[in-house]
Amino acid sequence: MDKILRIDVGAEGGPKATEVPVGDYAGLGGRAMTSAIISKEVPPLCHPLGADNKLVIAPGLLSGTASAMSGRISVGCKSPLTGGIKEANSGGQASQVLARLGYSAIVLEGKPKSDDLHKVFINKDGVRITADNSLKMLTNYDLVAKMKAEFGDKICCISIGPAGEMKMGAATVAFTDMELRPTRHAGRGGVGAVMGAKNVKVIVLDDTGMPMRPPKDPEKFKDANKRFVDGLKKHPVTGQGLPAYGTNVLTNILNEVGGYPTYNFKQGRFDGAAAISGETLAETEKKRGANPTHGCHRGCVIQCSGTYNDKDGHFLTKQPEYETVWAHGGNCGINDMDKIAMLDFLDDTYGIDTIEMGATIAVAMEAGLAKFGDADAAIKMVHEVGKGTDLGRILGNGAALTGKAFGVERVPVVKGQAMPAYDPRAVQGIGVTYATSPMGADHTAGYAVTANVLKVGGDVNALRPEGQVELSRNLQIATAAIDSTGMCLFIAFAVLDQPDTFQALLDLLNAFYGLNLTGDGVTDLGKMVLKMERDFNKAAGFTPQHDRLPSYFKTEKFAPHNVTFDVKDEDLDKVFNW
Amino acid sequence: MYFTEMQQLPHLEFVLDKPLLPEFFLLLQQGVDLRCRICCSVAAFLTDELRAGEETIAKIQSIILDGKPVDDIETAIVKDGSVLALSAAMPGLVGATLRRGGAYSSFRNAITYHEKAETCSVKEGYVRIKLFNLLMAEMGPCLLQRGVSLKAEDLLSFMAGLSQDFWKGCIRTELDNRPVDLRKLQDSLTGGDEILLSVSPA
Repeated sequence: MDKILRIDVGAEGGPKATEVPVGDYAGLGGRAMTSAIISKEVPPLCHPLGADNKLVIAPGLLSGTASAMSGRISVGCKSPLTGGIKEANSGGQASQVLARLGYSAIVLEGKPKSDDLHKVFINKDGVRITADNSLKMLTNYDLVAKMKAEFGDKICCISIGPAGEMKMGAATVAFTDMELRPTRHAGRGGVGAVMGAKNVKVIVLDDTGMPMRPPKDPEKFKDANKRFVDGLKKHPVTGQGLPAYGTNVLTNILNEVGGYPTYNFKQGRFDGAAAISGETLAETEKKRGANPTHGCHRGCVIQCSGTYNDKDGHFLTKQPEYETVWAHGGNCGINDMDKIAMLDFLDDTYGIDTIEMGATIAVAMEAGLAKFGDADAAIKMVHEVGKGTDLGRILGNGAALTGKAFGVERVPVVKGQAMPAYDPRAVQGIGVTYATSPMGADHTAGYAVTANVLKVGGDVNALRPEGQVELSRNLQIATAAIDSTGMCLFIAFAVLDQPDTFQALLDLLNAFYGLNLTGDGVTDLGKMVLKMERDFNKAAGFTPQHDRLPSYFKTEKFAPHNVTFDVKDEDLDKVFNW
Repeated sequence: MYFTEMQQLPHLEFVLDKPLLPEFFLLLQQGVDLRCRICCSVAAFLTDELRAGEETIAKIQSIILDGKPVDDIETAIVKDGSVLALSAAMPGLVGATLRRGGAYSSFRNAITYHEKAETCSVKEGYVRIKLFNLLMAEMGPCLLQRGVSLKAEDLLSFMAGLSQDFWKGCIRTELDNRPVDLRKLQDSLTGGDEILLSVSPA
């Protein structure tokens, strides 16, 4: 990974590809890479769909190696949805393949001079960019089938669906999985719209003939990887719970504690939760001949994904993740898993963020466009997005815009991005995450949030200030290590709980790169990333007022506990004081 | 649900091939009622009523009592009509937040269980038990064998969804210790009835 592929889509005569040395970005990967390039090269006040914005696609530091769990990829830009910096990430095969092809990043930049849509093909022999208007408005599944017919089945694809071509705020960048299905998405923040603005429909990668990236110290690397895998397998979350039930295992427990947002965040309990729980989902999958234990990329040992078949036993979609089941399930009052799976498939093939889409549908339901619980109406709305109807254009640009269009006050967004599947009034630490993350309302950034802002009463696990600082440090270590290495976020439990597993992760990095990285070094990296992101947002016009939840979360009591979000604004402003 | 007196319930017993036990596990996530000793700590309840050993208790990472996460199982009291939900370890930051006594428990202190000083004498009552995820297999068989109560309509609805393979592996079904024709079972029960269900491996 010693080079960056820059594609100037506005070059004379059509898009031009240039390979440049990594240079100042050496030693960065994943989120660190995307945020570094965006912070340095993109004017914060530019239009997200304009010439000055860039789309950066970056594998992690350990992607393309023999390391377990290193298949995550980051996609960065100025977000069309939030107006701030964005890093969205995804599983699938592309991270490994891109890294083995030698690229630290692909950067799409400039503004197209024509309406031609392009496909980019990258293999060991180089880069070929071709105009191909027959790809216009193809769904992701149809597009991938066409690429497979053209390039064979040893490829992987990075693509946008119709939503991305229409530059919608909820548009994703899709990544194919091991079975060459476009089931993995960098979903948040409208990154697909930026790819659409660059008139790039698909990037096809083929690493045939490319070796796995070799570590500096093979013996130490092999030993560290073994210890790392052993740590993941022995931890109850990564070794048992996630493989058996997937992330949707959270449904029952969140519902039980009254933190499961239901009917557009009206209440924290959903009567139909058991019907769409991870336990029920896994059981249904097994009975229909699907697989509830499946990795999204080669080398995944957690295997929290799965496949979902319809009632006739035919593949319908990947196993929907917790946030997807919630977004299209409880938040919309829908408890039919087959309908939710169909919604997941439609989101995948049209290229729409499942969280944003589910939140948007719930806002539309609150507006009276459909009744809560009407799954067929929800499906119809997603089709509207895919077809680009007038209504679809509104819905496809997210919950905030939809709320404005239909005069809805209760719109659960921060910085324009819809909240995921945890109510901030019940789990207030999550609310701090939603409020202060540079990414907008984002649960995956939670590992970067400290516990400092929360007052801990004498009755409940009083933490000394020193302990809070330690918590903060641990969380940042997890964030930096995970987001930059290409590791899946779910390693965090094992890493935080088991010091030897964290050490194994450090040893992987050190053995691969010949470093002597310590926990403190990783902390510094995490701080650097967050500072870049916060600085970009400030220059883009963000103020402390952007680090707030919608006001109704402070006033509207949330059943069954009748709580409100009561973290003080001044405390929110202290999150990133270090 | 609050029970003011012990009721003698119809007893439906299944004896079936052991591999079929998981068919009943999904009932456990929705909750079943256990007649048991109440007004004891969660810790005592787990060991004495649910027969959980130390190894099993260590696997129970989230304990939700009447909708609130419990951190200290020695002081939280199980009462008549309590709802006790048990979960193994959960992923993500929320999973860490809901962990029993976890480092991030302060994130949810607004909903954390606090025991109020109430007098409570030990007696018998009903507790609704919900077993989630891996604990269904860990604790479910013992619970089902002991016997739990649930609404007849819920049981009938559950039975309607059972496959032919299940019935092939069902060795014996008795209602109040007498063999029962399942086709007539629905006539024997009405929707509002409570029924005692026990399930044993052959």
